[in-house]
Amino acid sequence: MKQLLTGILFLLFTTALTAQQSQKLASFHVNGMSFAQFSDLVQKETSVRVFYHEKWVKTIKVDVNLDNVNAQAAVEQALKGSGLEVSEWHGNLVVLPGEKLLATLPLYDFEDLKSKSDSASRVLTASEERYMTGRNADVLQILKIGRKGGHLTGTKAKITGRIMDEESGEAIFSATMYIAEIKAGAASDMDGFVSLSIKPGIYNASFQYMGYQGKKYQIEVFSDGEFTVSLKKSVIQMKEIVVYGDPQMNIRAKDPGLDKLSIKAIRELPMLMGERDILKVSTTLPGIVSVGEGAAGLNVRGGGSDQNAFYLNKIPIYNTSHLFGFFPAFNADIIKDFSIYKGFIPAQYGGHLSSVLNIVSRQGNRKHFMARGGLNPVTGNLVVEGPIKKDTLSYMLSARASYSDWILGKINDPVISKSNAAFNDISGGLNYDIRKTQVALFGYHSYDRFSLSDLNEYQYTNNGVSATAGHSFGKSLRGEFSVIGSQYAFSTIDKQDANKAYTHDYKIEHYEIRADFNQAISDKNTLVYGIGSILYKLDRGTLEPYGENSLRQRVELGKEKALESSMYISDSYDMLPWINLTVGGRFTMYTAMGPKTVYEYSAGLSKESRNITDTLYFGDNKTIKTYYQPDLRISVNFKTDDAGSIKLAFNQMHQNLFLLSTTTAIAPNTQWKLADYHLAPSKSNQYSAGVFRTLAKFGIETSAELFYKQTTNFPEFKDGANFLDTPNVETSVLQGDQRAYGIELYVKRSLRKLEGWISYTYSRSLIKVDGEHTWDKINNGKEYPANYNIPHSLNVVLSYHPNRRLTFASIFTYQTGKPVTYPVSVYYYNGVPVLDYSSRNAYRIPDYIRTDFSVTIEGNLRKQKFMHSSFIFSVYNAFGRDNAYSVYYKVEDGFIRGYKYSVIGVPVFTATWLFKLGNYVSE
Amino acid sequence: MYQNKIINIAMVLMVVITSCIQRFDPEIRDVDAVKYVITGQVNSGDDIQRINIGTSSPISKPGIIPVTGCTVKVIDAKGNEYPAHDVWNGNYDVDIPQNELIPGNSFKVDIVVPGGTHIVSDFDQILAGPPIESVYYEVQKLPTESPIEFTDGIQFYADLDASNFACRNFRYEVIETYEYHTKYPIEWWYNGRLRHTTPPDSSKMVCWRTTSLRDVYMVSTEDLAENKYKKYALNFVDNQSSARLVFGYSLLLRQYSMSDEAFQYWEKIRLNSQEQGGLYDSQPMSIKGNLHNVTNPGQDVLGFFSATTVTQKRIFVKNVPNLPIEFVFNCVIGSLPRMGLQGTDPINYPIYLPQRSIWIDDAWVSTYDLLTIDHECVDCTATVGGTIVKPDFWPN
Repeated sequence: MKQLLTGILFLLFTTALTAQQSQKLASFHVNGMSFAQFSDLVQKETSVRVFYHEKWVKTIKVDVNLDNVNAQAAVEQALKGSGLEVSEWHGNLVVLPGEKLLATLPLYDFEDLKSKSDSASRVLTASEERYMTGRNADVLQILKIGRKGGHLTGTKAKITGRIMDEESGEAIFSATMYIAEIKAGAASDMDGFVSLSIKPGIYNASFQYMGYQGKKYQIEVFSDGEFTVSLKKSVIQMKEIVVYGDPQMNIRAKDPGLDKLSIKAIRELPMLMGERDILKVSTTLPGIVSVGEGAAGLNVRGGGSDQNAFYLNKIPIYNTSHLFGFFPAFNADIIKDFSIYKGFIPAQYGGHLSSVLNIVSRQGNRKHFMARGGLNPVTGNLVVEGPIKKDTLSYMLSARASYSDWILGKINDPVISKSNAAFNDISGGLNYDIRKTQVALFGYHSYDRFSLSDLNEYQYTNNGVSATAGHSFGKSLRGEFSVIGSQYAFSTIDKQDANKAYTHDYKIEHYEIRADFNQAISDKNTLVYGIGSILYKLDRGTLEPYGENSLRQRVELGKEKALESSMYISDSYDMLPWINLTVGGRFTMYTAMGPKTVYEYSAGLSKESRNITDTLYFGDNKTIKTYYQPDLRISVNFKTDDAGSIKLAFNQMHQNLFLLSTTTAIAPNTQWKLADYHLAPSKSNQYSAGVFRTLAKFGIETSAELFYKQTTNFPEFKDGANFLDTPNVETSVLQGDQRAYGIELYVKRSLRKLEGWISYTYSRSLIKVDGEHTWDKINNGKEYPANYNIPHSLNVVLSYHPNRRLTFASIFTYQTGKPVTYPVSVYYYNGVPVLDYSSRNAYRIPDYIRTDFSVTIEGNLRKQKFMHSSFIFSVYNAFGRDNAYSVYYKVEDGFIRGYKYSVIGVPVFTATWLFKLGNYVSE
Repeated sequence: MYQNKIINIAMVLMVVITSCIQRFDPEIRDVDAVKYVITGQVNSGDDIQRINIGTSSPISKPGIIPVTGCTVKVIDAKGNEYPAHDVWNGNYDVDIPQNELIPGNSFKVDIVVPGGTHIVSDFDQILAGPPIESVYYEVQKLPTESPIEFTDGIQFYADLDASNFACRNFRYEVIETYEYHTKYPIEWWYNGRLRHTTPPDSSKMVCWRTTSLRDVYMVSTEDLAENKYKKYALNFVDNQSSARLVFGYSLLLRQYSMSDEAFQYWEKIRLNSQEQGGLYDSQPMSIKGNLHNVTNPGQDVLGFFSATTVTQKRIFVKNVPNLPIEFVFNCVIGSLPRMGLQGTDPINYPIYLPQRSIWIDDAWVSTYDLLTIDHECVDCTATVGGTIVKPDFWPN
């Protein structure tokens, strides 16, 4: 106590002394003087020394005309608009770029800060406190933006900031800036830019991003200007499981139905074979389901799995899984940000009815070399990244490969030992980033090979590249220009029946150019607009006979080409402080092009080859048919109070690309097909409304959302359709209406020892194909449930962190069984029993229930270490429930027998090892 | 090495053992509406044409439910009407002159069921079909659930050559006949009184059984370059589970030419009955044939009425080289109740008794007072479908 008192006295004394010194007044009248000379002058006149870095002041010419001012005022005037700040330090002056040292606590917001500190100390436990060393709570820093006097009275200043990761130097996407005084904020774009119009003045600004320590600044806005804020990854492990942004963002984000998953969120969760699958985890969010284990694809708000657009750094990925759906097709370690738009889809996206799943990869550490990787029973993976030129040019390389192949060979089972399965994926990126310009190059490749004994062989690959250049033009306009190429191909050899053995190769190519702009018109209006064009080239391939004994006829399935050009504009307008309105329009012109032979069928008869009346041939690039597709997107966000908001949205979408699938899960040889002369694009209208509330005291966020979605021209396969050898798809497809509706409830708790989320969805998805004639109907024209109509879905994701090195996590999933067509009666033909089936999907398989557990053990928490390891032990389907994947009937020896097929009917244990260079918190 | 093992086990768990198939019977609502089922065809090549009329049965209580007393007629494209007469059990036979049952002619069926419901079919055209190219078999080993055990037997195949025919869709029907023997002649039996037949009656020791296999065999050359098909797999007959290969086995293959519509109908039935349940298999579907309920158009009629050309071929199999017979006739022995023969229920008469001593576990055991033997041990007609009448085609 005595020591403390002495310390305080000493501080008071020195403060008084230095205050006295710097108060010495003088007059300065200089013109065009260099700063070095000026600082000498200041020292001479006032005895105050000015410390600075020569590099910073080299270009400054000082013009000062001041009488009777102290040294600090003189130097401040000299440095005005240079971005340099002068602070007093022990009686001398220190010049620093953009930062002021605080000698005393600021007067403003004192209470606020105090309460904040209080709450921080309450939350932290002793063990956490230990790991918080080095972290200074609430050191308030000052950011000065613009030049003094560089502003016209009465107008607002446009401030543009950039939010970066302090350690890796990467831009942070979706971080938020919030200004407490005006209760307004903004979220950063893909390159970390955030902008706001604001009256000049002094504000308290906070910057937040999930998994990062928030930062508070006092900002002094003088005029239009720029600034950079670096955020540090949170060392609080508890923050690592986050869905949505922080509570602030959830309430204020303008998009209803936007979900975010942090890659860290999935790391500790129990996963099948330790493969961190962000898509599988996303099925625990409200409104998203998958039809079963090993089934690729998601069903979002009652939509088919082809109704989701999936982008990896703008590259569309046409097959997102390895091993047919068991594992994700990309390395989880490269994911920086993952967002799912399912309600209001911003106008820059189009082409898929249900959702946009957007992955932004890591850009590469701009400060130092970094490596991370992991091993699980199926795959090994490694990511390396680092600067080529510090803070400017960085690279990221990722590789992941399975090593299951040789294992299968060792198994003493003739079918399995003759089978093999292998997959890998690699990706790499280069990022160039200087103040206003960002250039990014990214490449991706995935490969899968599977052969089942001597019966079947499958191979498939994804390839993609994207090049993006972003530039800030002036203060308020930012443009981004991208060139994208993507390709998905598969090949099949089917040898099951020597007479019918065949090979088949398939390929879809996607070439895209686009320009996107973001313009802040005023403090209330932000405009986004852009144009783009996609050229699709699809080669459905040729069925070739395979082997000497094959009698298979060669079938050319044909090639397709189409051009999809779009433009869009959307304005986000803060009508009132508590109402935000976003109105957007997107216009797409879709043209199916030759070369192509198109058949006309006689009107009033079913589309079958025997009813062909005319053959039309379209030459190369000749227009076969053009579809004009206007989309309207509206979203209104009412802020009801500080802790809640109501969001309404109307969303229109068009889709020109479909999966030809007759199966519930997407088969490995499912083909994408373009809209064409006969197959019209689908169109959907979605209405959604949501209520969002946070209970900050308990760390809880809640939301309830309603949606109703109506789709026209929904393509559905006819009974018994087979797309494999059907060149004219119109003979096997009918188009009808789909409607889906539901309610989604969500409760999430974060930043606590026990955290996680609970989501419940009630939804229906119904299809009706009721054409004019009997052959234009499915299910007699009556509405029937879609294969993925899963009314009830409940997910509980919990994790508990008793301490920093240990996490227990669990996932509980309940889903209504998916619809199925059961036999309802039996009849006999020549004594052979034949089953008569119900109308399509009139029954359901048993409900799906699964519980998974995992334990994550982190390596030691020493600060100085070469490498940090984590071990994750998980058990998938812990109770070994034999969930039905399908239920089917067979007539065997005259008896009718029902069977249940379970893909994973036992608990699956996995140990996973993850490592990274550096210590526990290194990134 | 230890780690390798763990990985091995994990992969095996993952790929093989984790998936499982179990018997499962979900609850099915019994349908209120009884659906009429019309099956039948007119065959160029057969003397009598038969149409069967019945109703479907609930899945929980499967059974044949015939409908008798219908007015049935077959009408051809030329307008000729051929009335059918109710023969038995929902079967209606119709006599159509052979000179009208020719490729190119089309037929439909017109039915009025008791109660007045009127059902008609679409016309189906007879397509000419080729003779069966060949029927043959190969000795094969089928894998069993155990990776080291196999089932030996013969696999039958058919070759098709329809090069000069327009028809590309064919359905096969396999009708098998085999001879089988009982173990003992009838000697001691009881029907309230103990009887002894001397000399022992061996008239029911040799039988023949003929059945139509319940599998749907169909072949389409629609997606083949030539109108041919080699080695179409039919049924497999093993050497241990039945007497089929012991005393002789005859297979009659009937090949029906089919119209596209009929093929699609049967193909859907085949898809429904076979390829299901896997990860990438299609869902089953409700199937509509070519029959319509005129009185109540909203009500589906099941089945298909077709007009075909039928050709057939028979093959006889006995003493297959390289295929030892592993079938052992197992005469099931039962024990008498405590009261002895007097305690038996008359519903089970006659009760057959073994000879005074029978061979059990390497020894003759005198068990006359204690044991009964199953009917199948002495009476081959006790097996469903068995007859002591030797078929005409059976070789001597």
